[in-house]
Amino acid sequence: MAQPPVSSQSQEQRVTEFVNSYQALRAEVGKIIVGHNDVVSQVLVGLFAGGHVLLEGVPGLGKTLLIKTLAESLELSFSRIQFTPDLMPGDIIGTNIIVEDAQARKHFQFQRGPIFGHILLADEVNRATPKTQSALLEGMQEGAVTVSGAAHPLPSPFFVLATQNPIEMEGTYPLPEAQLDRFLFKLRVRYPALEELTEIIDRTTHVRQVEVRRVLTGAQVLSMRELVREIPIASHVRDLASFIVLGTHPQWERAPETARRFVRYGASPRGAQALVLGAKVRALSEGRFNVSVEDLRATALPALRHRLILNFEGEAEGIDVDDLIGQIVENAESMTGSGKEVFLR
Amino acid sequence: MAGPTVIERLVADVARQIRLRRAEFYGLRGLFWGAAAAVVPLVLKEPLGVWSYVGAAVLLIAGAGAGGLWGYLMRLPLTEAARLADRGYGLQERVSTALEWAERPDRTPIVEALVADASSRAEQLGARRIIARRVPREAKLVPVPLLLGLVLAAAPPIPLPQGRLPSFSVSREEDEEKAPPDRSGEMQQAERKQPTRRDPAQRVDVQERNLTPRLGGGGQSQAGDLAAVFKDTSLGGRAPDFNSFLKKGDERLRMLEQLDRIPDLQSDFTQNQTRMVFQKAKSLRGGLDPNKKVSPEKLRELLSEMERLGRKNGAGGQQGNWSGDVYEGMEALEGGQTDKAMEAMERALNKMRSIEERGRDGKSLKGGRESDRRGNRRGGDKGAGQQGGGTGDEGDFPEGEGLLPGRGKSGSPKGDATARLRGNPFDVGVEGESRAGRKQGIDTNMLGRGAQMPSRMQYMGVLGQYRKMMEESIAREQVPRDFQGQVKEYFQSLDER
Repeated sequence: MAQPPVSSQSQEQRVTEFVNSYQALRAEVGKIIVGHNDVVSQVLVGLFAGGHVLLEGVPGLGKTLLIKTLAESLELSFSRIQFTPDLMPGDIIGTNIIVEDAQARKHFQFQRGPIFGHILLADEVNRATPKTQSALLEGMQEGAVTVSGAAHPLPSPFFVLATQNPIEMEGTYPLPEAQLDRFLFKLRVRYPALEELTEIIDRTTHVRQVEVRRVLTGAQVLSMRELVREIPIASHVRDLASFIVLGTHPQWERAPETARRFVRYGASPRGAQALVLGAKVRALSEGRFNVSVEDLRATALPALRHRLILNFEGEAEGIDVDDLIGQIVENAESMTGSGKEVFLR
Repeated sequence: MAGPTVIERLVADVARQIRLRRAEFYGLRGLFWGAAAAVVPLVLKEPLGVWSYVGAAVLLIAGAGAGGLWGYLMRLPLTEAARLADRGYGLQERVSTALEWAERPDRTPIVEALVADASSRAEQLGARRIIARRVPREAKLVPVPLLLGLVLAAAPPIPLPQGRLPSFSVSREEDEEKAPPDRSGEMQQAERKQPTRRDPAQRVDVQERNLTPRLGGGGQSQAGDLAAVFKDTSLGGRAPDFNSFLKKGDERLRMLEQLDRIPDLQSDFTQNQTRMVFQKAKSLRGGLDPNKKVSPEKLRELLSEMERLGRKNGAGGQQGNWSGDVYEGMEALEGGQTDKAMEAMERALNKMRSIEERGRDGKSLKGGRESDRRGNRRGGDKGAGQQGGGTGDEGDFPEGEGLLPGRGKSGSPKGDATARLRGNPFDVGVEGESRAGRKQGIDTNMLGRGAQMPSRMQYMGVLGQYRKMMEESIAREQVPRDFQGQVKEYFQSLDER
């Protein structure tokens, strides 16, 4: 075994800084947001993995507040778009307007839309028309928008946090699969527990004002994103990620029986990328230098639940996608030899 | 830096543990199969002698040893051992990742920190067994072949079966020679020696006689022939009971040879009275010794039966055919002339047989509709009496008759229905059946040939397409869940049909 050069201390220092920054940001968000620990962690994972996050939950659970708090904790610009059926693409990305210069000459000038912010809150994204929703697509994927043939790069880091309401489906436009695939994670915001609800009441009905500090700059966020990609992953863990993603495909011969029966379309390669990137951030956030199987297990649900489309039978049977993904992960672990009998092979 | 050394040492230690566990596992498995194989030489203890014990011991040890060696030498990649080390010590893939990435040219700087971290953690680990012992299923069964082997080793040698059948004839002779004279009385000795010895030709003759169907007139059976069969049994020594069994057995065999005293349970006497008369006549003639005289009472009874049969089958019908012979036979019998009565009975029987055969031929060759055949048979039966065994084969349309109104036998002015319409009532049909579901309903099912018509097949073909379209559209259109279930139930009910 070759001796690696002795420079591990600086690397350990980088990881330590990552953990400290992560914990600091987590603490600032926690000042405002009560409970929802998993949701907050996954939002931060999405931020440092360089993806976008879709939050789904009934009204009043604090989705918008969470995003606003996160934006306040970062030294980054923040934009909010309330999606409505009459919202137009130009309202998001901006438009060319006629302006007069000092010599009274008129010319077109691009007026930037709210998408030109570091953190974009797309509130109730499923209430806008598909045409308007698609205005976000290029920006989310490419980090730039094109208006009148001119490309306008978006600021970096660019982080979209969208919310949607799973009920009141009338008058909504569910996001198409192509747009859902652009989101790194889809998080489900659940109703708070009794203790959390009590804490929410205490915090929000009192005169006490909580100040949120800005703990991270955009440059720091970008640096942390670079570090995430340096994290090594063992081949058997990487294979497990591949088996998990392939297991969502009903056509795959080694997919579990439930996936074959209830799934119409499985996850795309973006799902595998999201799975591994999310696992890397999670490993770093715990101060580890490598990805573990537990990281994949924890990331599988938010990374895959919106990329797995049930067929009619699955919808009619009321199959829970999260349960289905749990079975797929178990099946994948048995395939990669994570069982107890591995030493007998 | 001691990192790699520490990691490698840890992996090597885990690999050794795995090899030992594998050796245990496969050693136990080999022990079972070795013990099972060791039973074989112990069974062959008679020909092998002392070598059977040696062979059994060698097989037992060789099985366990070979299994253990196989398990120890099985291929074990280091990455596998590293994975198990991670799992066993709870290192969260640190060791396996460090081991793999330390050698890669595209390793990132953070791999150094990973190796250092994994090494420091490995150094802190105490030596302990992390690979759990696994017991194969065969291990639970090891006592079975071991106990069996011990029993076989302690028991006397098992006599092996010989490759040929024992010779009964020689045994019988030996048995006779070895029989103690004072074991039974004088009478039993006489009974045992009574059957004469047969040469092989006679024996074959007897066997053939026993295998051929017994046609009455049984011969004398030979008491004591079966004695040789019981030569080696305890019954052979119990002479009085054995002899009495033989005597009774012979009597029963003689009874079985008299077929005329055994009722033929397979024939159905109630099926046809004519056949019953034939059977009685046959038993009256054939079941007795030809030298013996026919019993006049039985002959009278048979003639009365024939006369009654003729009267029953219709006035002026078949009776006119054989009744004269029957009366003649009865008169001869009353005059004491049994031979003449027998001759008259034979004539009457011949006439009955010819009528029966004609009727059977006509039945099998008749064509036309079933109702016509029934009518013709009735007509033929009538004609048999009048015309002296008339055939009744006039055909479907006798001369001057037909199916036209007023010209045929049909009472209907429109005539009988055509054969085409009456061919098969299930050619085309629609059957209703209740349908299970939320609302009561009747579904119609097409049966018979109609179900295979192109229209029906087309329906079956498009059903799958509609189901697929329905699934896609429901998944696309955001149909409320309640309605989805309802639509699904409907399509499932279609599939169940």
